[in-house]
Amino acid sequence: MEQTKSEVLQGTLDLMILKALDVLGPLHGYGIARRLEQISNDLLRLNEGTVYTALLRLQQQGWIGCEWGASENNRKAKYYSITKAGRKQLTHETKSWERIAGVVDRVLRLQNEQ
Amino acid sequence: MKSLRKFLAKVLGIFRRGRFERELETEIQDHLTNLELRFVQQGMTMDEARYAARTAFGGIDRLKEANRDQYSFAFVDQACRDFKFAFRSLRKNPGFTLVAVITLALGIGANTAIFSVLNGVLLRPLPYQQDENLVLVRQELPAAGIPRLNFSVQDIEDYRNQNSTFSSMVEYHEMSFVLLGGEDPQRVQTGVVSWNFFDVLGLKPLLGRTFRPDDERHGAEAVLVLSYEYWQRGFGGDLSIIGRQFQMNDRVHVVVGVLPPVPQFPQENDVYMPTSACPFRSADTFVANRNSRMMGVVGRLKSGVSLQNAQSDLSVIANRLQEQYPESYPKSGGYRSAVVSLKDQITGNIRPTLWVLLCTAGFVLLIVCASLANLMLARLLRRDREISVRVALGATRRQLVRQFLTESTVLALVGGFLGLSVAFATLDVLVAFAARFTTRVQEIHIDGRVLLFTAVVSIFTGLVFGCVPALTSRRDIAASLRADSRRASNSSRHQRFRNVLIVVEVAIAFILLVGAGLMLRSLVNLQEVDLGIRAENVLSARIDLNFSKYSNNETIRRFYRDLLERLRAIPTVTAAGAGSTFPLSDQPRRITEIRFKDRAIEEPQARIQTNAFTASPGYFQALGMPLLEGRDFSDADRSGSMPVTIVNRSMARHYWRTEGSLGRQISIDNGSSWLTIIGVVADSRKSLDAEVEDSFYVPLDQLPVARTILIRSTGNPAKIAQLVRGAVYSIDPEQPVDSLRTLEEVRSESISSPRLTMTLLSLFAGLALLITATGIGGVIGFFVNQRRHEIGIRMALGAEHGSVLWLVLREGIMLISLGLLFGFAGAFGLGRLMTGLLFRIRATDPATFIGVAFVVIVVAASACLVPAYRATTIDPTTALRSE
Repeated sequence: MEQTKSEVLQGTLDLMILKALDVLGPLHGYGIARRLEQISNDLLRLNEGTVYTALLRLQQQGWIGCEWGASENNRKAKYYSITKAGRKQLTHETKSWERIAGVVDRVLRLQNEQ
Repeated sequence: MKSLRKFLAKVLGIFRRGRFERELETEIQDHLTNLELRFVQQGMTMDEARYAARTAFGGIDRLKEANRDQYSFAFVDQACRDFKFAFRSLRKNPGFTLVAVITLALGIGANTAIFSVLNGVLLRPLPYQQDENLVLVRQELPAAGIPRLNFSVQDIEDYRNQNSTFSSMVEYHEMSFVLLGGEDPQRVQTGVVSWNFFDVLGLKPLLGRTFRPDDERHGAEAVLVLSYEYWQRGFGGDLSIIGRQFQMNDRVHVVVGVLPPVPQFPQENDVYMPTSACPFRSADTFVANRNSRMMGVVGRLKSGVSLQNAQSDLSVIANRLQEQYPESYPKSGGYRSAVVSLKDQITGNIRPTLWVLLCTAGFVLLIVCASLANLMLARLLRRDREISVRVALGATRRQLVRQFLTESTVLALVGGFLGLSVAFATLDVLVAFAARFTTRVQEIHIDGRVLLFTAVVSIFTGLVFGCVPALTSRRDIAASLRADSRRASNSSRHQRFRNVLIVVEVAIAFILLVGAGLMLRSLVNLQEVDLGIRAENVLSARIDLNFSKYSNNETIRRFYRDLLERLRAIPTVTAAGAGSTFPLSDQPRRITEIRFKDRAIEEPQARIQTNAFTASPGYFQALGMPLLEGRDFSDADRSGSMPVTIVNRSMARHYWRTEGSLGRQISIDNGSSWLTIIGVVADSRKSLDAEVEDSFYVPLDQLPVARTILIRSTGNPAKIAQLVRGAVYSIDPEQPVDSLRTLEEVRSESISSPRLTMTLLSLFAGLALLITATGIGGVIGFFVNQRRHEIGIRMALGAEHGSVLWLVLREGIMLISLGLLFGFAGAFGLGRLMTGLLFRIRATDPATFIGVAFVVIVVAASACLVPAYRATTIDPTTALRSE
């Protein structure tokens, strides 16, 4: 089980967080970590703390906003939500990710045929 | 855009850091609690859950650190750390810190003080509107030895009407009148100006109005404008001064305005009046005579007109006038007219001095940098272990360099701050100094620009002397950490660098000393000038008779005859005389055209212009000017008797060479009357740096114009000042007497500005020499320490003390000689800057160079002697054993 977990690729964490916020609406840090875990079916190996670094980075770019709200168990929590600029960035990033993934995919397949 | 947003976030982050960190803390804590809860639900124990949560979350501190970097500038954090560390390490070395801060304060303070003067006088625009368009117009007769010819009313009219490049041209002259109607009769310095004089300068009155065209009409009511200073000084800033009436020159004068506090040009006056109010300027005979020249002319160029254009415009007029009136503008005199920018005119006198002083101060700062770099290097060697440990613990080279730079900048900023107080403390002296050259001194302040200058200079200084040790520290940690760190590979690099710094210091000290030396020599030359008078025990005083009261010649004659009689009756007085002026006096001189009766003089058409003085009997005696031929004036030379004159030796030689001048006749009124030469008096100079000029004297009784009295006594002349005053008051209690000063005071005051320049330069140079001497002593001391072992071996092998001494001294002398070599080259090049300040000595004077080199060698070599002597006391056995 341990061996099958993958490291998060540099830069993809931001993309995943953006996507999660876009699809699921406002979330707090813990919630984001849980969703990423769920979506990846536990295949991602993630230091959950790095989520916060990514959140701050995204905030500074103006792609996400945040406000304080009450969590499910009624504690004060910081909720993050995607902004308009963030959506634009997400589309952009998604496209370029697909492009790169496509290229990498083709390259790998080429190796397999040989 | 993105990077801007990031930047702003960071800037905000600096201030909001506390909140951010608290929020992040809460988030992390909540996250951990949630994880723990989840793990517990999955069946872990509380402790297991806590551990698992931590593992899943990852390093909390690293996260915080990473976040901190994102929302703040890492360097701000680091800078804070660096500053803390710098302060700590400086505090631990109070000796080094004290020396560094004091030298820096002196160096930066000197620069700040000189710069504040330069800023106020040269850099700031004149407080007049569009000062670049303001010019001074001049007439010159260079070939006749008259560099400045004043203007007559007709000169001005012609230039004003015929030019095409000036938007306006105004006249100016100054007079001294007695103002009645205040508490005491007061002598007021009066500027007599065209009605639009202030409009041309662009000066708006503080109170009331300036002049109007009707004020200048012939016969208009006399009006006055007061200067701000006089209004404050004389009337305590009385707001109801407008409309107040005063008696002046037997007329009622009404105050119509007060000027704002600005430097006045060409000199500070108490009051201003339009030309129609001046009894001399408005006299019909004066106006009608093209050769009655008394005024100066200021003009405003039309916008877009260059100085060259204006100059050629005026030259055309000058040529035209010369053709029209050959008598008034003699060709043989090389008549011409010229324009000079007003700013240059006002500040031209002080400019070379200020630049020399700023250069000097700059050099002092350079030497301060070099010596501090040297100290830092020495300190670096002592901190060898500390630094090696830091490197071993992971400090990068960049961090070390930053640390050095922070330390040096902190030092320089503290030094700069103290330097500001040095500047504040010395500003008064400098202002008094500058006041001898220019009227702009009121504008000298420590303003924003000066503060900025100080800050920039301080930081720059810190970076310069801090980067030297930073750049030379490339370390071999292993070697440094070994016990024999003294042999660490970089010490020889350091030593070489320190040698370079010493060479630089010696060179700069030499240059500064040469500057001071030249100034000293030229001051000595000034002091040795033979003025042609004996200044000891002579008291001088200025008396300006009230024109209205002493309106005819007879009253003036009677006043002086009475006064001199009373003065001579004072017991200690040996001689007393009155005259128009005297050598060294700043009273205006009178230049008169003369004609010769015998036509032996071949200067056919030239009007010869010569200095004319009046002198009473006893005048030459009082001044101690010996009579070479003929006789002195006597009481018999009266208004009715034969008109006579005494010429000086230079004039007698000039015109009559060997034929003898006694009995020859000259005329000062175009030939209507002739003065017979009855004596030849020794030459005198009008100031210490002036050449002897042709002059002649007429008896006061025959030409009753006098402004000064001179009294020679046997005792201290200052003691009879009160008696002199009393003598004047006993004749006329309303008559002011002022400028009571001994001739020696006048003489020493006349060289006070070169003396102060010399003092400043010597101070700077002395400081530089001291710093250099300590620097070289330190470096040679280090040299001895380094070679302890070698010296020990030499001595064990039987080396004499002398040869050891020489071994060390040789090192020092090599550095000194190298420094001198560069210094010679530098002083040779920079000396030219000083040429304008020097008197009778060339900027490359070999004697000064050699003398100064000698001083540098002696001082620097003796600084080396101490460590050299210590080298001879090394005990070979201990030196060898310690290895």
